[in-house]
Order: sequence, then C-alpha cells, then structure tokens
Amino acid sequence: MITKSMPEPPTPDEMLAYVRGELSADDEARFRERLLPYPELVRTLTAPFPTEGAEPGDEDYLSDEDFARHWAAMQKRMPRPAVVYLWPSVAAIAASLALVLGVLYWQKQVQTERPHVLTVDSQPLFPDGSERGGGSAPATVMPEDGWYSLVPVLMDERPFDSYRVELFDAGVDPQRSLWTMSGLRRRQDATLIVAVPRSFLSPGLYRLAIYGSKGKGEEHVNSYTIRVPTTAH
Amino acid sequence: MTKDDRFQSLYQKYYLRIVRFYVRSFHLSEDDARDLAQDAFIRFYKAMDEYRGEAEWAFFETIARNVAYNRIRSQNATKRRGKHVDIEDPKTRVPGAPAPDYAKQQEDATRWRQLYDAIAELPESQRQCIQLQLDGFKYREIAKFLGISDDAVKSRRRDALKHLREKLGADLLPEDDE
Repeated sequence: MITKSMPEPPTPDEMLAYVRGELSADDEARFRERLLPYPELVRTLTAPFPTEGAEPGDEDYLSDEDFARHWAAMQKRMPRPAVVYLWPSVAAIAASLALVLGVLYWQKQVQTERPHVLTVDSQPLFPDGSERGGGSAPATVMPEDGWYSLVPVLMDERPFDSYRVELFDAGVDPQRSLWTMSGLRRRQDATLIVAVPRSFLSPGLYRLAIYGSKGKGEEHVNSYTIRVPTTAH
Repeated sequence: MTKDDRFQSLYQKYYLRIVRFYVRSFHLSEDDARDLAQDAFIRFYKAMDEYRGEAEWAFFETIARNVAYNRIRSQNATKRRGKHVDIEDPKTRVPGAPAPDYAKQQEDATRWRQLYDAIAELPESQRQCIQLQLDGFKYREIAKFLGISDDAVKSRRRDALKHLREKLGADLLPEDDE
C-alpha cells in the first residue's frame, strides 16, 4: 500500500501568524499547502470572525440578566488576584532578604568597628626602641577617609608561619587589650598592614604588639606605640 | 467608561456571535463553544487594559482563535492517544450486519486511488481547488482561503475537471453542479 506522509499540522502560533498576515507571500503559499491535509483547520480560516456586535433588541444580544449569570460564572473561573497567593511567598522572600541584609549589616558593623587588614600602604610604623622609630617616642597617627592605616615594619628575621597583632590601650596601667587578630602574613617588604576605623581609637596612647606564630608556639616580635592626637577627632 | 463597563458591553454584543463562530468554523458543539467563548472572554478581560479601540478587538480575535486552536490540538492529541479498533475484526462487527462486499470495496478503493493520483498530478492552483471541494468547501470559502475571487475558483475547478476527465474518463466525476 502506498502512503504519503502528512505534514505536521501548524501550531496555534503559526495559525495566528497567518491570520494576522505576518507571513510573506511565499510563506503564506507554503502555509496554505501545508494546511490542505487538515480541512478542520482550513475551515477555521474560511468563516469570517465577527466584527460587528449585536445591538440591544437583536436576537443574539445578551441581556443584562444573562450577563449577570455569566459574570458570576466567569468570576468563579477567574484566578484570584495573584497577590493573595503570592503574599506568603513575598513575605518569605522579604524575611529572607531582611535576614541577609541584617547579616551583611552586622558584618559591616563588625568590620567597621574593629581593625582589619588592608592592602594599601600608608603609615609605616617602626618598633619601639629602634633607631628609625625615634627611640621610645610614640608615632603620631592620623586618620584618612575614616581609617588609620597602620603598616608596622617587622624588624625581626626569624621565620614564622604567620603573625598575630594585638592592640592595647596604653593609657591605663596595666594596659588593656582592645582587639587582636591572628593569621596575618608577612609581606615581601617585611611589613604587615592593619586598618583601624577612626571611631575605634579615641585620642590617647595605644600599643600595637606583633607576635610570630610557628606551630603551636608564639613569640613576641615587635611592639609599636602610637598616639592618636585630639586633632584626629 | 470603566474596564468592567467596557467588558460588559463587548460581552453582551459579541458572546453569542463568538459561540456561533466557534460552532461554524471550528465544528465545536454548542456547549463546547459556549465554554470556549467564556474562556476567551476571561483571558481577554485579564489583558484588556493593554489595548484600546480597534486593536482591542483584533486582540480579542487572537485570543479567541488561540484558545480554539489549543482546544483542537488537545482534542487531536487525545484522539491520537485513543484506542484503535480494527474495523475488519469480526469481534467489532455489528451482529446481524451483512458481510462486507470485499470485491466492491476493492473496486471503490482502486477508483479513489486513481482519482487521488490524478489530482496529485494537477497544477497546484487547480489541485488546491479540487482538494478543498472534495473536503466540502464552497466556492466562496475556497476563494477566501486561497485569496482569489469566486470566479477564479470556478475557472480553476473547470480546468481541473477537464484534465481529470481526460485522464480518468467522464463517468468517474460528477458534473459541474455547483
């Protein structure tokens, strides 16, 4: 038996493109040829779509009463406003967003309220008692853009795996530890970089102590006394 | 006029005409047509803020056709998934019905095969007219679909029948009776 395979019927989108006259003349001709094996689809194109509505009094004009019945039926079929269904999702998203923003804010606060390592060079500090440091005279540090950028120069050639810095309030006796951070790496120019937010240091004397860590042991390397002048605030 | 007022006005004027359009052109049952028309109007209502004037009704036509094409498509898909019955299967034959005349069936099948082969060899413009006529379309429907005049359809049909009669013999085809 000889059979001829039928072309795939056009999709609704293709039918609508044809109806809207969006095809070129050649494409229209090809489309018609493709439609021929599907007379039920051809028929949808041969009957005119109503362009003139009925007027009140016409047989096919829907009365107000009938419309009211239809409207009630349609409202049952209409989905409720999306906001009703979306609200729980929106609330969940908002809560998640608030949580994330809260964490970010907290992290930012922690960052801004506590010293941390920067990657820019700024104020080199020399260890207390060193010749370049001017003996025991504290180095006066000034903030820039809200930060004290401290660059302690390590004058110790002992190899350490990492370093820990600790900041003390040197204006009280005994000195009080304010903050510490470990895991710092010595840079090629034998310095560390520590950024301290301006608000963290009120005017006064402070001591920055550096400790070298190797294995489980730790040794003091250098200390740097700094002074925050009243003019810095 | 508010959106709801505009919608009510369009619905009252067009609902029943759309139902008739569906019945006539999509061969839907009255119930299906009413259901589909309401579906189209619901979709239209939800999106009608985006259109005004003539564009609004063109937009509705797109929606109305779209819901109908999708319905046809899903119905065809259902049919394709349906159970196939072999009409030659004795179990499916109506009890008491006369046995089929296989010789007659064979003869008819041969004649139809000859006819369709001959139609397939016609020039495209003639073939389309004949094919549509065999599917039950009227002149004006064929003319509308092919984008030509009624007279052009008649002319092409006449030429096609002439070709077919020459090839198959006069008795195979009906007279030009439309």
